[in-house]
Amino acid sequence: MLAEHGPDAMIWAGGTDMTLHWQREKVSPTVCVDIRDVSQLDFIEVGNDAIRIGAMTALATLERAAGRHHILKMLSDITKLMCTPQTRTLATVGGNMCNASPAADLSPAFVALDATAVIFGRNGTREVTAYDFFVGVNRTAVAQDEILQEVTIPLPSDGEIHGSYRRIDRTVVDIALVNGSAAVTVGIDGVISKVGLGLGAVAPIILNAPDASAALEGTSLADVTRDKLAEVAAIAARHAKPITDVRASAGYRQDMVEVMLRRALEDAITNHGGKLR
Amino acid sequence: MTVLKVNGRPVEISDRGDRTLADALRNDLGLIGTRVSCAEGECGSCTILVDGQPSTSCLMLAQQAEGKEITTIEGLADGDNLHPIQQAFVEEQGFQCGFCTPGLIISAKAFLAENPNPTADEVAVGMSGNICRCGAYPYIVKAVLRGAEKIRAVALAAE
Ligand SMILES: Cc1cc2nc3c(=O)[nH]c(=O)nc-3n(C[C@H](O)[C@H](O)[C@H](O)COP(=O)(O)OP(=O)(O)OC[C@H]3O[C@@H](n4cnc5c(N)ncnc54)[C@H](O)[C@@H]3O)c2cc1C
Repeated sequence: MLAEHGPDAMIWAGGTDMTLHWQREKVSPTVCVDIRDVSQLDFIEVGNDAIRIGAMTALATLERAAGRHHILKMLSDITKLMCTPQTRTLATVGGNMCNASPAADLSPAFVALDATAVIFGRNGTREVTAYDFFVGVNRTAVAQDEILQEVTIPLPSDGEIHGSYRRIDRTVVDIALVNGSAAVTVGIDGVISKVGLGLGAVAPIILNAPDASAALEGTSLADVTRDKLAEVAAIAARHAKPITDVRASAGYRQDMVEVMLRRALEDAITNHGGKLR
Repeated sequence: MTVLKVNGRPVEISDRGDRTLADALRNDLGLIGTRVSCAEGECGSCTILVDGQPSTSCLMLAQQAEGKEITTIEGLADGDNLHPIQQAFVEEQGFQCGFCTPGLIISAKAFLAENPNPTADEVAVGMSGNICRCGAYPYIVKAVLRGAEKIRAVALAAE
């Protein structure tokens, strides 16, 4: 249907962003493909090597999945910050990704967790990393005749991954002024093997920071200090290119993204049982 | 015509695809207890139950309600007998102007179904999707706690 109707056709998932875009005439589709009751896209699967979350999983469903895996607990805690109880039943994980707001709450976590977006189209499925998924404000790697099928979070085979998400908000319903997420994998030898970072609301897309990640990778969990994490957060924050808008000034965002990342890193290390000095 | 199931009864609304469910409930069906204030999902005054889940009807298309069980504030009372949560709101004066009250009561119903014995803090978080411009929040929290007591009492009596 999407291919047949071209750019005038749009996906309607939970509709929580779509209704507003449509009322404000930011979009004016002539055809809306309602995928709300596509139950094949509504699933959360915990495997040995990955957690798979279907695009049509409601935020309220993700919220209730906390007991199934500690990474789902991390994501569940994020959903509690999002929207309101009565909009979380409508809003979906895929819609949050595809709306591609720079301030969206799940996106930085997916970038930090090095998640993969599985995109479905006429020629089958293709995969892009969460980092490459976001192309600009409200713009993603999903083409007009494609849909996002699921988000896959890889789990390490030779160690454990822990993560955290931090944000600054004004009120419960408001979106983040700035946010940051960190995911740290520690191998069975006790050495940090992988660090993922996600910076939100400081650029048109969700940023990562490979140089900051590299500065922590290879360090033994036992040797991580608060100073070290502060240094890593400072390197990461250099990637930020914030703007000033009604919610916050560029300077405030610049300072706070560093603080959010430092705290997210501290949480992740603490979750691994690391003692911060 | 599209057939919806509202408050246990089949009802007909027009087939228009460009309307919100709140709009259809109010204008086609005259169920004006569902209030629309912000029309952006923030205030919660249009909250209804869709298959038991609380949902802002201002962010749903009317056609999306086909095949679902819709409950609005009009569906709570049993004839002249108020629902225990409605009764609790009256007794605790959990409102001032009353505009937001239907949405609050529906939210409370969904919240108490998940958490039948909440603390005041849990009520505050559970009801955080409903805004009361009069600021009757302390009374609303009391009303929800009282509603919880009443529902538990009814459940006990039934055992
Ligand atoms: C009151 C309120 C509060 C909010 N608070 C927050 C918040 O705190 N944090 C936050 O991050 N967001 C927030 N949002 C934004 C919104 O709720 C989320 O972005 C939500 O997850 C969007 O999901 P949806 O299913 O409603 O998407 P929809 O509105 O249905 O779709 C959004 C966009 O994605 C496209 N789309 C949806 N699914 C797919 C798919 N599978 N494949 C391809 N394209 C698709 C649609 O075409 C559309 O362009 C809030 C919204 C409201 C109304």
